[in-house]
Amino acid sequence: MSKLINCVPPENIEEYKNVMVYVEHRNGSIVRGSLEMIGRARVIADKVNEKVICVSLGDNLSPIAEEAGTYGCDIFLGAESPEHRYFRSIPYAHKITDFIEKYKPNILLISGTREGRDLVSRIAVRVRTGVAADCVELDVEPKQRLLISWRPAFGDKTINQILCRKHRPQTVSSRPGSYPVPEKIPGRKCEVRIEKVKLDEKYLKHRIVSRKPKEKLDLTKSDIIVSGGLGLGKPDGFKLIRELADVLGGDVGASRPVVDLGWIPYDHQVGQTGQTVRAKLYVAAGISGKIQHVVGMKASETIISINNDPDAGIAKYSDYFINADLYKAIPIMIDEIKKRKKGSGGAKKSS
Amino acid sequence: MTLKIIVMMKQVPDAEEIFIDPVTYTLNRTAARGVINIPDENALEIALQIKDKVGAEVTVISMGPPQAEEAIIECMGRGADRGILITDRAFAAADTYATSLTLAATIDKIGKYDIILAGESTTDSGTGHVGPGVAEFLDIDQVTYAESAEVVDDKIRVKRILEDADEVVEVPFPVLVTVLTGANIPRRATLRRKIDAIKKGIERWDHETLGLPPDWIGIRGSPTIVGAVKVPEEKKRASKKISLEQIPEMIDELFEKGIIKREDGA
Ligand SMILES: Cc1cc2nc3c(=O)[nH]c(=O)nc-3n(C[C@H](O)[C@H](O)[C@H](O)COP(=O)(O)OP(=O)(O)OC[C@H]3O[C@@H](n4cnc5c(N)ncnc54)[C@H](O)[C@@H]3O)c2cc1C
Ligand SMILES: Cc1cc2nc3c(=O)[nH]c(=O)nc-3n(C[C@H](O)[C@H](O)[C@H](O)COP(=O)(O)OP(=O)(O)OC[C@H]3O[C@@H](n4cnc5c(N)ncnc54)[C@H](O)[C@@H]3O)c2cc1C
Repeated sequence: MSKLINCVPPENIEEYKNVMVYVEHRNGSIVRGSLEMIGRARVIADKVNEKVICVSLGDNLSPIAEEAGTYGCDIFLGAESPEHRYFRSIPYAHKITDFIEKYKPNILLISGTREGRDLVSRIAVRVRTGVAADCVELDVEPKQRLLISWRPAFGDKTINQILCRKHRPQTVSSRPGSYPVPEKIPGRKCEVRIEKVKLDEKYLKHRIVSRKPKEKLDLTKSDIIVSGGLGLGKPDGFKLIRELADVLGGDVGASRPVVDLGWIPYDHQVGQTGQTVRAKLYVAAGISGKIQHVVGMKASETIISINNDPDAGIAKYSDYFINADLYKAIPIMIDEIKKRKKGSGGAKKSS
Repeated sequence: MTLKIIVMMKQVPDAEEIFIDPVTYTLNRTAARGVINIPDENALEIALQIKDKVGAEVTVISMGPPQAEEAIIECMGRGADRGILITDRAFAAADTYATSLTLAATIDKIGKYDIILAGESTTDSGTGHVGPGVAEFLDIDQVTYAESAEVVDDKIRVKRILEDADEVVEVPFPVLVTVLTGANIPRRATLRRKIDAIKKGIERWDHETLGLPPDWIGIRGSPTIVGAVKVPEEKKRASKKISLEQIPEMIDELFEKGIIKREDGA
C-alpha cells in the first residue's frame, strides 16, 4: 500500500522548538559523527535559547545518555529493546518519527554516516519535510530560527546554501568529519527519558544473517596523522612513515594511488573517496596535493608537507613546507623529536 | 511467475568533464557528456545477474530531460527488457522529496514489482537520499550499501558494507536495495540489443500519465531550495618553506606551540 503524498507544510511553524540530534552509537559509545552533531546543536540552541534533545535506539542506552549529557545534551529520549541491538531501517525510522511528532523540534541533525543516510530521508518523507544533504557548515538565523546549511556539490567544486523555509523540522544530514568534537564536560548531566519498547514481530523478517565487525582504522578520531603518497617510491617507504607516526604518537594515512597499488589497506586512505580527517597535526609526505586528497585533510589544524618538488601544489595547503627528499627529511625529524620528547631540559637544548 | 525488477537510473554529466562557470558558479551542463551514474550501472548489473540466474523482467526507469533516453537505450543494450523515461518540464528543480515522490508514483503505476535497485548516490548532486525516500513512499523495506545481492526463494540476500562491519541480511520481497559504486564490473551492451531497443522504443511518461498534480512535483513540490552559491574558501596557510637544516628549528616551534607534546606532558 503506497501513500504518495506531497510535502504539505505545517500550519504553525512557531510551535516547532529545540534542536534534535539522532545519536548513533557503537560498542557502548557515541560515534564521532553524532558527537559533532551534539556540538553543533549546542551552538545553535544557545543562539536561540532552546534545548538540545538527543534521540537514540538500542539495547542498553543508559551509558549513551550519560555520555550525551557530558557533551551538551539537555534531554535524552531513548527507545530500548533487545531487538534494537541491530539497526533496521523501518522500526528505527518509525520510532524517531514518533519522537519528532511528539516533541516537534525546529531542527533535526543527523550525521551522514551510512546508518544516518539510510534513515534520514525515510524520516523526512514520513514527517513531510526536506533534507539539506551532506552539509559541511550549519548556522542559524536567530530571528526566524531559520537553519542555514551549506553543502558541497559537483565534486566539491562549489558550495551551495540549502534552505527549508516552510517545513519542520529543518532536517540535515551532515558530512562526518566536518565539525570538531565538542569539549567534554565531565559530570554534566541531562534529563533522561528511556522507554522500553517491543519490536513488532513483522520487522524481524528483516533478518540479520551475520555481522562481521571489521578492525578498521578510524582516522577521523586521530589527533596526529602521518600520510605517505606515491613519492615514497616503494611499498617499504611506509616503514619510515610508521616510524615518524610512532614517535609522534599518531596514525598512518595515505593517498589513494598507494592504496590502489596495495601498499597499504584502504582504511588508511584520506580524501574524497577515503576518510575526511581533522587532525591537530597532519604530515603529508610525498603527496602532490591534488584536490581529491586535500578535501580529506585540509580541515586539520597544522599541516606539514614534505616534497622534493619546489612547485608542489601541496605547499599552499601547508603551514610548513619541507622542500626536500622525504628519505632525508623524515629521519632528521624523528631524531629531533625523540631528543625533545625525552629531554627534561626543555626544547631549546638541541641543535 | 517471473520476478519483476525495477532499476532506477539517473543520467549525470561525466565527472571528468564537469566544468563550473567561474562567474556564475553554475554547472555548464552542455560541456559535459551524459553518462549513466556509476553505481546505477552496478545496480543494473545485479539485476541482470539475477535475470541470468533465475529469470526476471528488468525495467529501467529514469527521470530526466529527453536526452536521458540515450542512457536508457544503453541499459536495454545491456539486457534490460523495458525502459521508461519520466520527462516533463514540470519536474525541473525537484529536490529529493519531489524526486522520490515522482519515482515512487512511476513504480506504483508500473504495478507489480519484487525488487527495486538503485545506486547509493549520484556523482552530480549526490545526496544519496532518493533510494530510501522511494522506499518510504512505497512503504516497503530497504537494504542500503549493497556490495552483492542474490535471490533465495522469495527473499533477497544482500551483503552490505558498513563503516565498522560487513553485514549479510535477508529480506522478503518487495524490497529496495541501494548498490555501492564499483560493486561489480558491468557488462557491455550489444549493438543488436541496442537496435532492438530503439525499434521497440522507450515509453515517455509525464506528470499527467502519473496523475501527479503540478504543485506536487518539481520546484513547487520541493521543501528545500538551493540558495546562494560560493566557491570553497581556503584557509590561508603560511607555507613556510623549510630546508633540511631548518628542521630542528621547526620542531622547536612545534613543541613551543604545544602541537607536539613532551612525554612528561610539558
Ligand atoms: C573520483 C576521484 C576520487 C579520488 N579520491 C581520492 C582520495 O580519496 N584520496 C586521494 O589521495 N586521492 C584521490 N584521488 C586521486 C587524486 O586525484 C590524485 O591522483 C592522488 O591524490 C595523488 O596521489 P599522490 O599525491 O600520492 O601522488 P602524486 O600526485 O604522484 O604525487 C607524488 C608526489 O611525491 C613527490 N615526491 C616524489 N619523490 C619524492 C621524494 N623522494 N621525496 C619527497 N617528495 C617526493 C612528487 O613531487 C609528487 O608531488 C581521486 C581521484 C578521482 C578522480
Ligand atoms: C547544487 C545542488 C544541491 C542540492 N542539494 C540538495 C539538498 O541538500 N537536498 C535535497 O533534497 N535536494 C538537493 N538537490 C536536488 C537533488 O539533487 C535532486 O533532487 C535530485 O533529483 C536528487 O538526486 P541526487 O542526485 O541527489 O540522487 P541520489 O539520492 O544521490 O541518488 C541515489 C539513486 O537514486 C536514483 N535516482 C536519483 N535520481 C534519479 C532520477 N532522476 N531518475 C532515476 N533514478 C534516480 C539512482 O538510482 C541514484 O543512484 C540539490 C541539487 C543541486 C544542483
